[in-house]
Amino acid sequence: MEIINGYLSRYDKLLILIIVILSMIMIVYPFIDAYFKNDINQRAQIYIQDSSNKITKIKISDTYQPEPIIIEVEGPIGISIIEAHQGRVRLKEAPVKDPAKICEKTGWISKSGPSIICVPNRISIWIENSDSEIDAVSW
Amino acid sequence: MNTKKIVIVALLVGLGIVLHIVENMLALSFVIPGAKLGLANISNLLGLLLFGFLAGLEILLLRIFLGSILAGTFMTVNFYLSLSGGILGYIIMALLFYYFKDKFSIIGVSIGGSVFHNVGQVLTAFLIISNAAIFYYLPYLMLLALPTGIGIGLVVLLTLKYLPHELKGVEI
Repeated sequence: MEIINGYLSRYDKLLILIIVILSMIMIVYPFIDAYFKNDINQRAQIYIQDSSNKITKIKISDTYQPEPIIIEVEGPIGISIIEAHQGRVRLKEAPVKDPAKICEKTGWISKSGPSIICVPNRISIWIENSDSEIDAVSW
Repeated sequence: MNTKKIVIVALLVGLGIVLHIVENMLALSFVIPGAKLGLANISNLLGLLLFGFLAGLEILLLRIFLGSILAGTFMTVNFYLSLSGGILGYIIMALLFYYFKDKFSIIGVSIGGSVFHNVGQVLTAFLIISNAAIFYYLPYLMLLALPTGIGIGLVVLLTLKYLPHELKGVEI
């Protein structure tokens, strides 16, 4: 640690500090934002956007059934299987050709805020609290 | 001197390609999805410091094109991500190095490069998928870019110390 310290100039440390503070703000801000407008969940909808920008909506209240809702979405590299159940949604199975399967590892999401994004197959899944005009771009 | 420079640039390109491929095996996906060490940046940062802006850019572009052809990711999403991130990070490194040379050390230059590498990648991913939710990843990637940037900067700094004098060519 002391060796690294010897090589750093004062401006280097300032740069590190600015980046840490900036990313902390960017991490914390969405949670505070979601906390203050958290009128739970009855009108919330799951949004699934595929590679042709077609958006499929599912009401959260429809997912409280014994059987999970399974949706198959076709993208550039194959078919992704999406499962919605008990107020949560996940990407159950990524196509075989997906190299890292990052979207599959994201797991379940149940609130607006986090989202499942599959860059190779161009699919994104997120939850919005109402069907107002305010969309993901607004925050 | 000219022949010597060509040979050393070629060696740096080769080094970069090897690091590019090794880096793909060492993905830090278990920490944050999509995170990488940025080892391949060693070669173009060395090129920038030894031979100036154009040589470094040459090393960067050759490394990304040849490396992705060899790794089988040419013209895929991975290729566009590393191309955009690489170019933005390199421009920031060159700006920091030429205009703030007295303020930032090589480690600071490397940190700026690795942070903006991630910014460029996230911007490209946003253009591909057109969903702003991907910016949630950015702060985590930026935080992880700090230790990797410091590490790469240290590697380059210590490497420069051990290079023989006639290799350095231009003043550092």
